[in-house]
Amino acid sequence: MSHDSHHDPVACKTELAPERSDLGLIRPDRTTGWTDWLTTVDHKKIGILYGAFAMFYFLVGGVEALAIRTQLARPDNDFITARMYNQLFTMHGTTMIFLGVMPLSAAFFNFLVPLQIGARDVAFPRLNAFSLWTFVFGAFVLNASWLFEFAHLAGWLNSFDWHKALVYTDFAPANGWFSYAPLSGTFGQNGQALRFTGVGTDFWIIGIQVLGIASLAASFNFICTIINMRAKGMTMMRLPVFTWMTLITAILIILAFPAITVALIELMFDRAFGANFFNPSAGGQPVLWQHLFWIFGHPEVYILVLPAMGIVSEILPTFSGKALFGYPIIVFSGAVIGFLGFAVWSHHMFTTGLGPVPTAAFSLLTMAIAVPTGVKIFNWLGTIWGGRVRFTPPMVLSLGFIWMFMCGGFSGVMHSSAPADSQQQDSYFVIAHFHYVLLGGVLLGLMAGLYFWFPKIFGRMPNAPIAYLASGMVILGFNLAFGPMHYLGLAGMPRRTHTYHAGNGWETWNYVATIGAYILGAGVFLAFANLAWTAFKGKKCSSDPWGGRTLEWSLPSPVPEYNFAQAPIVATRDAYFEDRHGGKRIAYENDGGEAGVHMPSQSWMPLVASTGFLFAGFGMPMMAMGVPHAGWIVITGLGVLILGIWLWAVEGPGGYMLKTPAAAGSPAPAETVAH
Amino acid sequence: MSETADAHDAPTSTGIDHKKLIMWLFLASDCMFFGTLISTHLLYRKLYPSGFTDAEGHQRFIQNLFNIELTSFSTFILLMSSFLMALAVSAMHKGEIKSFRRNVLGVIFFGLIFLGCQVFEFTHFYHQGLTIQNSVLGSTFYVLTGTHGTHVAIGVLWLILMYFYSFTGKLGGHMGALDVEVAGLYWHFVDIVWIIIFTAVYLVEYLGPNGFWGTGLPAVTK
Amino acid sequence: MSSSPEAAPSQEFLIEETRRYHHFITLALWLAVVTGAEIVLIFLPIPMPVVLTILSLMSAGKFFAVILWFMHLIYDKRLLFWIFVAALMLTFATFSALLALFSVDVLDPKWIA
Repeated sequence: MSHDSHHDPVACKTELAPERSDLGLIRPDRTTGWTDWLTTVDHKKIGILYGAFAMFYFLVGGVEALAIRTQLARPDNDFITARMYNQLFTMHGTTMIFLGVMPLSAAFFNFLVPLQIGARDVAFPRLNAFSLWTFVFGAFVLNASWLFEFAHLAGWLNSFDWHKALVYTDFAPANGWFSYAPLSGTFGQNGQALRFTGVGTDFWIIGIQVLGIASLAASFNFICTIINMRAKGMTMMRLPVFTWMTLITAILIILAFPAITVALIELMFDRAFGANFFNPSAGGQPVLWQHLFWIFGHPEVYILVLPAMGIVSEILPTFSGKALFGYPIIVFSGAVIGFLGFAVWSHHMFTTGLGPVPTAAFSLLTMAIAVPTGVKIFNWLGTIWGGRVRFTPPMVLSLGFIWMFMCGGFSGVMHSSAPADSQQQDSYFVIAHFHYVLLGGVLLGLMAGLYFWFPKIFGRMPNAPIAYLASGMVILGFNLAFGPMHYLGLAGMPRRTHTYHAGNGWETWNYVATIGAYILGAGVFLAFANLAWTAFKGKKCSSDPWGGRTLEWSLPSPVPEYNFAQAPIVATRDAYFEDRHGGKRIAYENDGGEAGVHMPSQSWMPLVASTGFLFAGFGMPMMAMGVPHAGWIVITGLGVLILGIWLWAVEGPGGYMLKTPAAAGSPAPAETVAH
Repeated sequence: MSETADAHDAPTSTGIDHKKLIMWLFLASDCMFFGTLISTHLLYRKLYPSGFTDAEGHQRFIQNLFNIELTSFSTFILLMSSFLMALAVSAMHKGEIKSFRRNVLGVIFFGLIFLGCQVFEFTHFYHQGLTIQNSVLGSTFYVLTGTHGTHVAIGVLWLILMYFYSFTGKLGGHMGALDVEVAGLYWHFVDIVWIIIFTAVYLVEYLGPNGFWGTGLPAVTK
Repeated sequence: MSSSPEAAPSQEFLIEETRRYHHFITLALWLAVVTGAEIVLIFLPIPMPVVLTILSLMSAGKFFAVILWFMHLIYDKRLLFWIFVAALMLTFATFSALLALFSVDVLDPKWIA
C-alpha cells in the first residue's frame, strides 16, 4: 500500500506538489487539458466522454441508415451496391446498439449513479476509466473495417500479395448484427476452414468481444457501487428509479454477455483455427449459434431499454409535480422484466422448428413479459394523472416515449404468437416493431435524459424552441419512417433486401418511409447540435432549473469534482424534493470541510492496458487477411494488456485531499472549485 | 494501512469489501461463461456419441482415448492446491507472511503440475488422432478444457506475481489479506469448475459399457 | 469476519482462524476421499441411473463444500452467497433448457409452426 496520499488539502488539484507513484512515475494528478481527460478517473468526466463518443456514433449509424433508406426510396435503385448495402445494414445495427445506445446509457450511469446515491465516486475509479477506453478502442476496431473497405474500393490494396490471395474481399462486416452461422462461419472438411465471408466478420467478432469486455467491467463496477456505496439512510427502496434500473441492467449484462463471449470464441476458433462448432459439413450445428446469440441477445434488448425506462421514471414525476406512482411496483416490474428476459430467447427462433412444447412454452413466457411492461406504462400514466404537468422538452420526449414504446410493445406481443410470428419473420414488420421499441422507446428516452440532465452536467440550459422543434421532427419523422413499415412487412416486403421490383405495391410507402427517415435524421442532428452548442455556449442556469427530486439536484452545476462537500444522510425517497417541500430534511455528515475530501489519483495505466485491445483488435483481422507478421501485433497487444494491468496493480491507488469551501454543518455546498 | 480516508477503506453500505464483492460478481458471471462451454460440449456429445475418426480412418470411442488415471491425478492435484490456497489466505489473515509464502508456492507448484498434465493430455490425444479440426468432439473438448487451462494459467501468473510482490513488504495488513483472499476466490472457482468438468466430461464416459452417451449413431466425421 | 484487524490479531480471532484451519484440513481429506470414491464408483456394476445420481450428488457436494468453506461463504455475508447461487441457478436453468431443446431429434414437418 502506498503512503503517498499524505498531502495537505488543496483547493484545486493544480496546486498539488508533484508526486510519484510506487512505480516512481509522476502521477498525472495535476494535469489539465488533454492529459487530464486521458487519465481522468472522475466518473463525471468519464460519463461526458462516453456521451460524446456515443453521440458521434449515433450520427455515424444515422448516416448509414440514411444510405439504406436512400437506396430503398425507389424500386430497382442502384444508389449503392448490394454488397455495400449488406455492410451498411450490418454496421448500422451493430453501431446503434453497441456504440450508440449502450454507451449513451453508460454515460448516464456514470454521471448520475454516484450523484443519485450520494457517493463521491464509483467503487473502482480506474476500472471505470479502463471500461471507457476499452469501449473507445473496441468501437474504433469495429469501424476500422470501413477504412479497409474504402482502401480496397479505391484500389490502394491491390499491390499487396496478401490482397491478391484473398478469396473474399469484403472488409466491412456484412452478416447482419447477429452474424448467424453458417454464413459467418466456415464450411468444408478437416479444418480447411473455407469461409463464406471475408475479414469483415473477423472485425465484427473481435470488435464485439472487446466491447463486451468493456461492458462487463463497467457493470461489475456499477453493481458494486450501487450495492456498496449508498449514502447513510439510502436504503435500497429509497434508491432513485434510474439507479434501480442501472442495477438491473448491470446484472443483466454480467449474466448475458458471457454467452456471447463464448459464442464469439467458438466462432473465432472456427474461422481462425478450423474448429467445427458451427461447421455444418463436419456435424456442427449452426442453430447453436442462434441459441447462444439469443441467450445473450434477448436480455440485451432489456439492457437497451431499461435505462431509458429509468430516465423516464425520473422525468415524469418531476414535471408532473407528483411522486412516482407505485414506486415499489415499478422497481419490481423492472426486476421481473430482467428475470423473464432470460427465459424467452427462443422466440427469435420460432421458425427454426423447436417442436411444439418449446414453441408453446416460449410463446407463453413472451406473452407473460408484456405484463410487467404494461404495469410500468400504467404506473407512468398514474404519475401524470392529476398532476400539474409542465410540457418542457424532456417531458414532451418522455410522453412520446410512453406512446411510441407502447406501439412497439403491441407489435411485440403480436410476435409472441408463434403462428403469427412465422408470417412476420424476416419481414419489414419486424423492422417496424423493433424500431418502435428502440427508437420510439430508447432513443426518445435517452434524448429526454440528455435534455433533462444537460443543465446539471454543464450548468447551461439548452435552447428550448430548438429543443421543441427537434423533438417534434424526431417524433414526426420517426412515425413517418417506421409506421408504413408495418404495412410493408405484412404486404410481404422482406428484411435485408437490397432492392425490389416495381409493381409489388411497395413503392409509395417506401418513398414515404425515406422522407420520414430524412426528417428523423435532421431532427436528431438538430437536437445533438443544440446540445453540443449548449455544452459550450448555452445560457447559464441555476443548479436546479427543473425542480428536481433526487440528490443530484442538490449539488451546484457543474458538479464539483468531489460531488458532495459533505456526505448526505437521506431520510426518505425523493430526498431533495422532500428536503425543500416536505418535512424530512437532508442531513450532512461532518466530513470534508477543512480536512478536505479524499480524491482518487489519476492514472495512465487503464489507458495503457486498453491500448492492448487496439493492437489485438487490429491484429486478429489482419491475420485473417493474411497480412505477414500480423500475429506479432496480436501478441504485442496481449503483452501490452498484461503489462498495463500489472503496472496498474503495483502503482498503488494514491489519492490526494481536496479542500471544500463548505463550512462544517452547512447544508448548501458553496461555489465550485475554480480552475 | 493508509491513515487517510481512502475510498477503498471507507466502510461500505453492506459491510462487504468492494474487492471481494466485485470478485464474487465476476465469478457469478463466469458461471454463465463455463455453463455455455460445458453445455456446448455436452449437447454435441449427445448428438454425436460415437467419438471421432482418426487419421487412419479408424473409428475411435472417447472411452479408449481418455486416461482416467492421469485425469484423476490432476483432479486430485487441483483439489489439494485449493486446500493450500485456503491455508495461504488463512495465514495472511493471521499476518504470517512466511507461512503465506510457503503455501502459495505450493499452490503455484500444484497449478503448474496440473498444467503439465494438461499439456501431456493434449499431446497424447493429438497423437491418438483427436484434433481440433477433425471432429466436433475435438473442437468442444480442446476449447472447453483449454479455456479452463487458460484460467489456471492466469491464476498461476497472478499468484507468482503476488509471491514476488510479498517481498517488497507492501503486501500486508487488511488490504494485503484482502488482495490474497480475492486471488484465492478466483483459484477456488477454477477448482470447482474442474470438479464439474471432471464429472460431466470425463466420468460419465465410463458409465456402463459404452458410457453415458452410448455409441449411438455413426459419427459425422470428415 | 473476513477482515483481519490492523494491529496484532486478537485472541478470539486467532482461535477462530485455528478452528477454520482444522475445518480446511478435514474438508481437504473429504474431497480426496469423495474423488477416490467417484473413480471407484464408475467401475462398479451398478445400474447407470443410480451411478449417475450418486455422481451428480457427489460432484454437487464437493462444489458446495468448496464454495462454503474454502471460499468462506459460510463465514461471510449472506448476500455473497445469494449473488453466486442466483447466477448458478440461472446458468443451470438456461443450459438445461438448451440441452432439452436439442433433444428434439425427429421433427414432424407439420409441427413446425
